[in-house]
Amino acid sequence: MFGRRKNSCIALGCLIVFLSSCSDRHDFAEPLPETVDFNFHIRPILVQNCYLCHGPDPSGRKADLRLDTYNGATSALKEGGHAIVPGKPSKSQLIYRINHKEEDLLMPPPESNYKLTEREKALLEKWIDQGAEWKEHWAFITPSAQLSDKSTTVIDSLIDVKLNQKQLVKSPEANKNSLIRRVSYLLTGLPPSPEAIQNYEEDNASNAYEKMVDQYLNSKAYGERWARHWMDLVRYAETKGHEFDYSIVGAWQYRDYLIRAFNDDIPYDQMVREHLAGDLLETKRYHPESGIGQSPLATAFFAMAEGTHSPVDIKKDEADRIDNIIDVTSKTFQGLTVSCAKCHDHKFDPILTADYYSLYGVMESTRFTPLDAHWSETKEQTAKEIEEVQAYMRKTISDAWNEPTVAEDKFNSKAKEVLPDTTYQVIGDFRGVDLSGWKSNGVAFGNRTTFGNPIVDPVTGTLLKLKDGHASSRLFGTGIFGTLQSRDFILEKDFISVRARGAKSTIRLVIDNFQLIQDPIYGELEMRVDHEKWQTYTVDVTPWKGHKAYLEILPGGYQGHKYQLPDDAYVEAQYAISYDSKIPQALQGSSEFRSTIDRLNARLKKGKLASRFPELKVPIKKERQLGKNLTSTFFIYGITDGFGIDSPIFNRGNHQEPSEEHIPRGFLSALPQGKVPFTSEGSGRMELANAILHKDNPLTARVMVNRIWHHLFGRGIVETVDNFGLQGKLPSHPELLDYLALTFQNEGWSVKKIIRSIVLSNAFKRSTLHTDALPEADPTNVYLASFPVRRLESEAIRDGILVASQSLNDSLYGRPVATYLTDFMQGRGRPQNSGPLDGDGRRSIYLEVRRNFLEPMMTTFDRPIPFSTFGKRDVTNVPSQSLIIMNDPFVAQQAERMAQRLLTQENLTFEERVTWIYLHSLARKPSPNEVQKAKEFMAMLKKLEAHKEYSEHKELELWKHYCHSIFNLKEFIYLV
Amino acid sequence: MSKYHNFMKRPLSRREMLGICKGGFGALAFTSLFGALPIGCDRKKPIASKPDLYLGPHYLPKAKNVIFLYMDGGVSQVDSFDPKPRLARENGEDPRKKFKVDATQFDNVGKILKSPWDFKKYGESGIPVSDLFPHIASCVDDIALIRSLTSKFPEHTNANYFLHTGSGIQGRPSMGSWMTYGLGSENKNIPGYVVLDGGLIPPGGLDNFKNGFLPASYQASILKAGAEPVANIAPKEGVPNLQEEKLRFIEQMDHSLMGKMGEVDAVESAISNYELAYKMQSSIPELTEFSDETKATKKLYGFDSDDPHTRGYAAQCLLARRLVERGVRFIELTCPNVGADRWDQHSNLKKGHEANAHAVDQPIAGLLKDLKSRGMLEETLVVWTGEFGRTPFAQGTDGRDHNPSACSMWMAGAGIKGGTIFGRTDEYGYRVIENEVTIHDLHATILHLLGINHELLTFRFGGRDIRLTDVHGHVVKDILA
Repeated sequence: MFGRRKNSCIALGCLIVFLSSCSDRHDFAEPLPETVDFNFHIRPILVQNCYLCHGPDPSGRKADLRLDTYNGATSALKEGGHAIVPGKPSKSQLIYRINHKEEDLLMPPPESNYKLTEREKALLEKWIDQGAEWKEHWAFITPSAQLSDKSTTVIDSLIDVKLNQKQLVKSPEANKNSLIRRVSYLLTGLPPSPEAIQNYEEDNASNAYEKMVDQYLNSKAYGERWARHWMDLVRYAETKGHEFDYSIVGAWQYRDYLIRAFNDDIPYDQMVREHLAGDLLETKRYHPESGIGQSPLATAFFAMAEGTHSPVDIKKDEADRIDNIIDVTSKTFQGLTVSCAKCHDHKFDPILTADYYSLYGVMESTRFTPLDAHWSETKEQTAKEIEEVQAYMRKTISDAWNEPTVAEDKFNSKAKEVLPDTTYQVIGDFRGVDLSGWKSNGVAFGNRTTFGNPIVDPVTGTLLKLKDGHASSRLFGTGIFGTLQSRDFILEKDFISVRARGAKSTIRLVIDNFQLIQDPIYGELEMRVDHEKWQTYTVDVTPWKGHKAYLEILPGGYQGHKYQLPDDAYVEAQYAISYDSKIPQALQGSSEFRSTIDRLNARLKKGKLASRFPELKVPIKKERQLGKNLTSTFFIYGITDGFGIDSPIFNRGNHQEPSEEHIPRGFLSALPQGKVPFTSEGSGRMELANAILHKDNPLTARVMVNRIWHHLFGRGIVETVDNFGLQGKLPSHPELLDYLALTFQNEGWSVKKIIRSIVLSNAFKRSTLHTDALPEADPTNVYLASFPVRRLESEAIRDGILVASQSLNDSLYGRPVATYLTDFMQGRGRPQNSGPLDGDGRRSIYLEVRRNFLEPMMTTFDRPIPFSTFGKRDVTNVPSQSLIIMNDPFVAQQAERMAQRLLTQENLTFEERVTWIYLHSLARKPSPNEVQKAKEFMAMLKKLEAHKEYSEHKELELWKHYCHSIFNLKEFIYLV
Repeated sequence: MSKYHNFMKRPLSRREMLGICKGGFGALAFTSLFGALPIGCDRKKPIASKPDLYLGPHYLPKAKNVIFLYMDGGVSQVDSFDPKPRLARENGEDPRKKFKVDATQFDNVGKILKSPWDFKKYGESGIPVSDLFPHIASCVDDIALIRSLTSKFPEHTNANYFLHTGSGIQGRPSMGSWMTYGLGSENKNIPGYVVLDGGLIPPGGLDNFKNGFLPASYQASILKAGAEPVANIAPKEGVPNLQEEKLRFIEQMDHSLMGKMGEVDAVESAISNYELAYKMQSSIPELTEFSDETKATKKLYGFDSDDPHTRGYAAQCLLARRLVERGVRFIELTCPNVGADRWDQHSNLKKGHEANAHAVDQPIAGLLKDLKSRGMLEETLVVWTGEFGRTPFAQGTDGRDHNPSACSMWMAGAGIKGGTIFGRTDEYGYRVIENEVTIHDLHATILHLLGINHELLTFRFGGRDIRLTDVHGHVVKDILA
């Protein structure tokens, strides 16, 4: 828009009669700063008012002018002059145009609805006058410590600097009841017990507070609280939503992973690594007690997205799914909105469309799959042992026969003859020794075929015969989990066939990574293998020619999209081919490999080769015994690596318009460490994790410590916790943010340590009470002169009610409690049965999250709808919330339970009863006035209930109403 | 910035509102906007990121309220409002020999199928309507018919999300949420966005009506027939005045807390919400109580029909009018369950469409006539549409498959030029060939009639100022009065 009118700027430089820095004379509410800082004062003005037309995205750029780079802003304009001449506001076109009287020339143009304030204009002018120093966006500069002070009071001293500048009066420390309630709720999501309150009240030691904090940090409930925070980031859900709300297999095990990880204070860098590449880590993390592998469980977050029912355009479906993953991943770990660069370069941030598609490739080469959720170190070793046993057996025989061919892996598929036939293509050939370049995930298919494996009578040790070659999921036994996946290929021929046999197992053709295979449209892409004889399984792929696909062979299968693996399930395959009309004869016949085995077996049968191997009796037994330890019954839907795919750029985000050029996989180019293309054969997720955890990555630590700060104070140092980009808010305390980030990074990435240091600060301990002047001086309490009043989150409200009524079942972990279904929760995929009204008394984190049947109490109190990253929940305030606490049967039920508990306490005076209720619900004792009010209230209730005949229930009724009223107090749902 | 304020007065600030409310329970007359202003939630920010702007109409609105008659499953255009004689001539022929057939979800392409219904011309405008809708046909002069609506999705769920939220992906705010976010409701005791659950929640579930990334206060309230029409609306105390006593006690205690704490806006707002909630308890059940409606009115809607589904839908339509009278901004009616899986006739087209049409035809005409006779149609926009159309060829032998390339819909009432036909499909009614109206255009037009510039109604989420119409949408000016 700059220079819309031709010739508008003829020799403007000399015509300008400037307002000549008169702006300083303006009487601004907030005086202009001594030194105008580009990041803190100027860029926000430019971003807000100029970048839509003069920002990083070239597609919308006007007048060829960009104001997001120093070069752009200072280079010569087409129409003459320069937008910015450092040190010379009077020569800067920018200053001229923002002050222009003519609407046609005024910037920003009036029709854009943007308008600069006088103060903004003055700031721009002063900044140019001071030399127009340009800085990179603050969040992209690696944090550096300029603090010499390493003491525990750094947090307070940095906060005090601002408070002193603003001359704000700090509130005193909160009283002990408020403190313990605050700490208990914010660290564990639960209210303190009356015993804990008493202990703390009576503890006069100087470190009483510290001890109390540590007690909550070390409580198991801590992990539940902080896991739930994290679940908001990764759009945690247990179903896929869309039309039929299919299950996400075993999602709850990811939730349990999080709870354990937070409780065990697993270093954050490790958590990040596990989330992004837990399946690829060379050294995986195992649970110290159960031995269950933890690292791969974290990858389930990739699979938490919406799952579409029978989309017609599956390439688009894939693009949408990957977009969601990029969105969630970039916001969660980097506080960046990379998804904005899907259709064009980011309008505000230095994120290129090429960056988006370099990440797209990473996600496109990642495949969804069930994982053995109970994979353990023991299993890993067992599998190795069996493989050694099998190798030993083969070697024993070949040594005896002096026939090395059986043991040595010379018969791999690459060695096979090349057939001149072009009417078909071999996708996989497992008749040799190797797996034909397919990926064997899990353990079932091992790392070779059955080729040459001996069949030995375990009683006599007689060798009966050698097996011919085929891929087999029962190398170690049936009911063992694993998948065998081909490389990606383009569907070019009409049919695909797999020669296979098995029981209760599956062959799937996965097109464009589309997993929810079913009718209508896709049903035939999944073939059930349930026959012990070799058969040819064929799928007609003509409707999908040109699409990308891979084949997957796996024991067990999906029922209603839930993966199941029966004990006796297995699958074996000889080859997979694609062809146009008829299955080629040549392939069906015997092969070179087969003839080798046949020849040996024939000689064995004729007694020409030794057949007595009593020394194999023990290994055979061991093999069978060990195999039983490998079966799997718990699954979690996660990911595995495919084969690296570099994606083209989709023109304006349209998958039907891919570019010629393919973008190498990689991460963001604007980061200080620079852009290094990923070279791994797989997806590159390990490299992605490394880029995010690179020591010079300026975002990772900042984003996480800011999230922690946000959860403790209700507002982040950067308020836009998921957006550290140019449209995000600037940090209120930049030095503090950097101090925390560096401490976090340098001291072992311990989340607990950071929380502890913040909670021990004076700022955290301050009372919510404040001087009358404070709301005027700092209306949003940015500077933390007092502790902000906060409403509890939906989970904490419900859990608090359960604790008060003493109905909380505080057991950890496990399958979710089925959703309680009201009549208002209707639609496809509605479960047959409702869950219990009280959720079995379990904490809210254990209630099922069904996308299409979300718990009304949770959503009404602002638990986010799980579709994207929500690091910061809304705090709305609407009557439907009041209606829930007033009228919801759950709340009434809990009030009654609380009254029942109360009345089981014998010999309590009225005052003691009220005290009991206050301690359990508000973490404090009632004042005499409050006891008096309670008395009057109960008397009133009695009158109203007077017409009822006397019964034992009556007293219960009365106290129930009282407890119910207490739940309805604002003090109950607020931290005050 | 005064142009934003020339129609609607600035909503009261929370502090002003509290000034009014000091009277306590029962003693206040709010000018606040239920659902519009999630109290304590800052709604100043979104428009063009200018902190000094409140939301409100951008220019003089024609419509104050919207009634959205959702024809779940997809009504066949060639059997309702878009007659195609060629289908009769070529009945039974192979469509693939006539035109390119797109992939469909069921991919069971049959022969070209003529409409089982005759079309007649109605009204002064002479708009042809099939025999499926004899009652609606009598209102054609108030209707602007669009024969060129398209969708981007041939699947129900995506198409539903697209129609309702402007995006085929789950989790975005629905149009009703956007409208209440933009304009609020004029009634403090009833939510601003109401979905009347007629029996069928569309595929995609309640997310069709959710607030997405907008604050939770903008989600739809589901209203159902029955003793408790809205969740948790009925007090459970069972003894007269008991709840009032409890609320009085709660208020007392809350105020003493405030006395100790000083001013805390959020807490004060939470306190005042109890007053609103209390009032809703009586205003909502009163809504569904039709005793003050005349016999003639009820008859007009079809209350005396032999068809229970007609009676059911008649009650929904009457309820919609009553909601409009009470200032509810956006009302959506979902379909009754006539036992034919919505309008989604993959087979048995004749039977299924007839059952559905019979259920909704008279009540809808009744609604239009009733609104008109009360002078309410002038400020109420009635929108009738499915999520997509159906194929002109058969699925199997006697059904029709989904067709996102052409769909007929209509609008009536506020700001609409009655007796208009807009847009044209090819000779088979398969594809739009003239004046395509996208879902984004539809949204832009509805917003326009409400006085909102769809490009300015934004909400900052994930680093973008997001709109209902994404980066698309044009107002369909030709159908405006």
